[in-house]
Formats: sequence, C-alpha cells, structure tokens
Amino acid sequence: MTTVEKLKMILVEDLNLEELTPADIYENAPLFGEGLGLDSLDAVELIVIMQKRFGIEIQNLDEGKAAFQSVHALASYIEGRLKTG
Amino acid sequence: MRPSDGTDARKDRKSWSARSIGSRWQHRFFYALIRLAGRRAAYVMVVFVALYYVLFRPSVRARSLPYLSRRFPGRNGLLRLWDCFRITVEIGRILVDRAALGILGPGQLTVRYGKREELLERVREGRGLILVTAHAGCWQFAMESLRMLETPVSLLLHREEGDVDLHIFEHSGDEAAFRIIDPAGPLGGALEMLQVLKHGEVLCIMGDRAMGSDRSTVGVEFLGARVRVPISPYRLASATGAPVVVIFPYKSGPGNYSLLVEKVIRVPEDLGRAPEAYRPYAEAFIRALEGFVEERPYQFFNFFDMWNQEPTG
Repeated sequence: MTTVEKLKMILVEDLNLEELTPADIYENAPLFGEGLGLDSLDAVELIVIMQKRFGIEIQNLDEGKAAFQSVHALASYIEGRLKTG
Repeated sequence: MRPSDGTDARKDRKSWSARSIGSRWQHRFFYALIRLAGRRAAYVMVVFVALYYVLFRPSVRARSLPYLSRRFPGRNGLLRLWDCFRITVEIGRILVDRAALGILGPGQLTVRYGKREELLERVREGRGLILVTAHAGCWQFAMESLRMLETPVSLLLHREEGDVDLHIFEHSGDEAAFRIIDPAGPLGGALEMLQVLKHGEVLCIMGDRAMGSDRSTVGVEFLGARVRVPISPYRLASATGAPVVVIFPYKSGPGNYSLLVEKVIRVPEDLGRAPEAYRPYAEAFIRALEGFVEERPYQFFNFFDMWNQEPTG
C-alpha cells in the first residue's frame, strides 16, 4: 500500500468522513475548503493523527501549510520525514 | 477587537461588527480625561455619553435589544430604555477601567481570584488548559489576571481593521500578558493552538461567538431560544486531552474585578468530528453562562443577535 493510499484510508477512518470512501478522494484536491472540505478543526485532528499514526510532529507553520495542500503533498511530506528520521 | 472561537474567520459571513461604536476622537477624549482627571471623572462622563447614545443613536439600542428582550422579556418603553442605559454605562465603565489600567498602571484596580488553586491544579496536569469564556464582564482583565498562573497564555483573537479600541498593553506600552492567535491565519491557527496545549500552556477561547461553517457549531437553548455556539474548545479538548475550564471575569465594584471559575468540563478523547458529539459540553457552557447573566444581567456584552444566526453552510 502506498503512502497516498494509506493516508486516504486514515482520513476516511480517523476523520469519520462517512460520506466518502478512499477511492473518492482525489489526491491533488485541496484538503481544506473546496476539495475535501476540511476546516481548521479538522486540521487540529489531522495534526494529532499525524503524530499518532506516523509519529510525525509538525512544528513549523510554513511546513504545515505546504504539507496540508493536498493528500499528495501530505503523503510526500510524510515520506520525506520518515526518510530523514 | 474581539476574541473568536477558532474556526474559519475568513469564511464568516458576519452580521456583527467587533469595532467600537465610539470614534477615534471620542476614545482619545476619554484617554485624556483619565490622564488629567482620573478614572472617577471618566466614570461620570460615561453616564452622559451613555445617555446620549441610548436616546439619540437607535443603532445602539438595536444592538442590545436581542439580548435584553430575552433576558428581560415583557419589558418595553421606559424600562427597556433603562436596561439599555444600564448595560451601556456598564460597558463604558469597564472600558474606562481598561484604559485606566493601561494608562495609570495596575494600582488602579484590584482583581480577586476565585478558585485560583483550581486553575493551577488544571495547569499542573500538563496537558494544556483550555479556558472558555464569553463576552461577559471584561475578558481583557481576565487575560491580564492570568499572569498569576505563571504559564504563557494565548488567546484566539481576530482583530478588525481600523478598530480604534486599544488593548491594555497598547496603552501602557508593556509586553502583552497574552499571545494572540489569529483564527484567520494559516490553518485557522490550528497548529499554533496545538503547540500551546502540547507545551502545557493556556489557550483561551470565546464560547459564545460562532464563526465559520455550521459544522463547527451546535444549536443550544440560551435564554429560551436556540443559539449556535462553537464546538471548537471541546473538539480541541477531545483531540488533545486538555481540560476545559469555564471562566467569567466580571466587574464586582468600582475599580474591582473578580474572576469567576465556574466549572471544569472533561471531554472524552477521540469523539470525532460530528458536532452533535460535543453538544453536552456546549450545553454545559451555556448553562454556566445563563447562570452568569441571571446574576449579572448588565455584564453580558455580546452585541449581536445570537438568536437569529443562520447556519453559514
């Protein structure tokens, strides 16, 4: 399973996106606003999920902004962080 | 300038304004009066200014009407004008105290802390502390008084462009007692809020002002009719395990303020994103607020029609 696929599954399960399946999520669509439709409270949960599921802590605001652009951007960020340990 | 609930302020289709009703010169006049003649002289002037606003500015009466008509149902005519006058004088005097504190220094006011130890205990839990308050009394004094926790305090605050109303620290030039997190900033301030709690610090959120989408609010009965209140404090608590404490700062006499520590709310972890899951906690807050306005009816300054707030989708 690729990081993108895993991430889509986590988004659906952990954020309870009941109306969606992982296959419905377009990996380049924005996570917030139009696109997946997440809001700032979802961002809070997403940051917590990143810590719990991947052991990754986002501390830098610019880093977070870039990573949360889309599922694809977030997956790339996770892969990059896991590589660098 | 008003604190907010931490949801997407950018999306908010507001029916209210956080800007002061006074003009820049009126504010400056009061600041000069406080400097030259002291707080009590400004208190007296507030009575005349309030009388003017209540009698000749229908917009001022209109702003307080939604709350006053529910807090004092059945009143009208002179009694309604009296209520409007009382609440206008009260907020005017609080603004005078706030300016006096910044201009003349901390000796001007005394602040009493109820259950100070309770707050300290919650901070010592080490999971951060979420303080939920309302547009009641003087929230800026609450922020100032939280220095006693000896822990950094952050406040969700969206400041409107052109607001002429100054903070206490802006009068004095001192360092602010709290850090501001702008909910209109990147990711709605989510990352900053989490950092605050992760470091065991204090995060203060207004529990009575809903902004953003319908999904970030829940409908609760307040003074006999439904209002929409934010779930952000409780959702943050669920995501982080931080305790929520409801506080209300209020004016207990001329130059005297008290910080009422009303209740501790524990939100179970991992409640998810459905707003309904957070209704019991929003209810608990609103019941506490109802108790506050029962006892101190002229110290609730949420001057927008909470009862006529359509979901913003």
